[in-house]
Amino acid sequence: MENEFKKIGLAIAISPTAQAMLSEATRLALLFNSELVLIHVASRLKENENKLNELIHQAKISVPYSVIWRTGNVEQEVLLACDEENIDLLVAGALKKENKVKHFIGSIARTIMRKANCSVYMVNNPSIHLQSIRQVVINAEDSPHIERAIAIGCQLAELENASWVHVVRELKMLSLTLSANRHLSEPEYNERKQKLVREEIQAVEKIMEGIVHKKTKVNIKVLSGKSGFELCKFVEKKKADLLVVGAPPQRLSLLDRIFPHDLEYVFGDLPCNLLVVNQPKENG
Amino acid sequence: MGKLAHSDVVHLLVQLSVMLLMGRLFAEGARKLKLPAVVGEIFAGILLGPTILGTINPHWFQLIFPVPSTSATVLSGFVQAAVVMLLFIGGLEVDLHVVLQQGKKALATSLLGISIPFFIGFIFPYTFPDFFGIADKQQRVVFALFMGTAMAITALPVIVRILMDLNLFKSRMGLLVVTSAMIDDTVGWIIFSVILGLIGKGHSVSIGSTVGLAIAFVVFMLTIGRWLLNRLLPWANKKLAWPGGVLSISLAICFLGAAFTEYIGLHAVFGAFIVGVALGDSEHFTERAKEIVHQFINNIFAPLFFVSIGLRVNFFTNFDWLLTLTLLTIAFTGKIIGSGLGTRLGGFSWRESLAAACGMNARGAMEIILGLVALENGLINERVFVSLVIMALVTSMSSGPLMKWLLKK
Repeated sequence: MENEFKKIGLAIAISPTAQAMLSEATRLALLFNSELVLIHVASRLKENENKLNELIHQAKISVPYSVIWRTGNVEQEVLLACDEENIDLLVAGALKKENKVKHFIGSIARTIMRKANCSVYMVNNPSIHLQSIRQVVINAEDSPHIERAIAIGCQLAELENASWVHVVRELKMLSLTLSANRHLSEPEYNERKQKLVREEIQAVEKIMEGIVHKKTKVNIKVLSGKSGFELCKFVEKKKADLLVVGAPPQRLSLLDRIFPHDLEYVFGDLPCNLLVVNQPKENG
Repeated sequence: MGKLAHSDVVHLLVQLSVMLLMGRLFAEGARKLKLPAVVGEIFAGILLGPTILGTINPHWFQLIFPVPSTSATVLSGFVQAAVVMLLFIGGLEVDLHVVLQQGKKALATSLLGISIPFFIGFIFPYTFPDFFGIADKQQRVVFALFMGTAMAITALPVIVRILMDLNLFKSRMGLLVVTSAMIDDTVGWIIFSVILGLIGKGHSVSIGSTVGLAIAFVVFMLTIGRWLLNRLLPWANKKLAWPGGVLSISLAICFLGAAFTEYIGLHAVFGAFIVGVALGDSEHFTERAKEIVHQFINNIFAPLFFVSIGLRVNFFTNFDWLLTLTLLTIAFTGKIIGSGLGTRLGGFSWRESLAAACGMNARGAMEIILGLVALENGLINERVFVSLVIMALVTSMSSGPLMKWLLKK
């Protein structure tokens, strides 16, 4: 599989978590053999420059990197820099959960997740002690990027020697489909229910046909209910280290937070680190 | 609490037993003939009711279903609760998430699928009210509005079943049709509740405030109400016995919502429907809980309601073949043109659009409930009600074969 992320961007701020973010971004750049672009939104004053240089020096970045300085609105500048620099994957830090007002208005991290044109790796409560990825959950929902999301999730799991990849698929409108089958006898009813699950597993198997996963064990899990909500519950139950989802076909809006879109359940309360896979860059 | 006399208790229990047994027997017969269970259940009611048993042996009919009697009043209460619960699960079936995700694509399909049948259904009864059996000539516009709504409504479970049989449920067309049907039902019930508000019989609240309260109720239930339910249900799931806790709470909220809308001058079914939509949208109302609610209502209360339809009306003396044929023609024409054009706009071929329109032509249980509420509110007479029931059954039975035939061509 070719290198999916040639350029990894890191939205970095001078903060207590900056060191941890640099370590995480370096790790990803090493895994994908990528170039690292540090995006810093602040006035380029001598004092700021010294602080950033000190951080970079302490982080001992072992991959090729460059620094971009921007001024203005943080989320806008980060997103613009990603487009201009052809960033394939943007790394940013986020709190696990934000208060309700911030959820509806949208914090910097959440705005980046919702609006980025590239893939986004959101580090949940960044820590300087890097944890290896043992369990990866991939959301195999109908998304234009589903195949790419599964492929990248499996690739990451292979590179990190993860023990399990759980590919999760939703069984849509289960109670409605079952209530429409009230004419069936008990064996027929159970058979219909099993058939519904089988069809979803087969759909995932079909997508995974061309995807390499030599070392990692793959578990296909079918869930019913509100898919984003059930997905988060599953991630927490499995104590997964990384959740991989496909980017939605359209940008999520305020309405998607009032009547939550599947991904808004994930964005609203990050169950672990999150990778939102978007379409590849044309020249990438 | 009042106490029933010994003989009334016996009567009531026998009535419930006979209705459930006969309903099941005929539903099984319908199943063997690959017809919807509701066809068998209504036929059971026709057999037990004034149409057949009441005509052949009035003594036996009066013995089992004595009218007037306290047991008949209590049975009527059971049936009323059944209607409320049926609309509650109707609301549960509306998946707001799917509607919002498919919204724009399904909007044209559902708007045309509602507006054209509504227009055709409105214009003819408005022009020829006597032919269509208007019950109250003062209510000509309201009557025509009701007929329009009756033509616009769609039976979601029937459509789902057909789509599953044809292996189309998860296809692009299947999702479009299901979403459109969900929108059709929601809009249909809102219009119908406003119509009932326009009749305003026996209520002290004015029309303007009734409509305002209805809108406020919908907005409240889908925002603050939904938020409150999302706090209440996790507590119920965690602290109360399962599934008893969540079942009791959900049905209690359903009845409360129904009581509120009944109080403000709309019908109880509207409140139950909107509560169903709000509850069904909660991530804490699990699919297992929904399945149990569906099984409980579909297999106990739905048969009671459908059998009671046959008990209520004499299908023979009230059968008007010309009116039935006219209603069927209007129903088929409106839905097939409206939903067909709508689906075509959704990017499907003419043949596929026609097939989807035939699917959406199914009126099912919702039409029968709508007709019954209109009958009880004096909006239509028994002749129109019988024609509406037949129309609901014919459209439900024909939609599957027609769809299959069109897609095989």
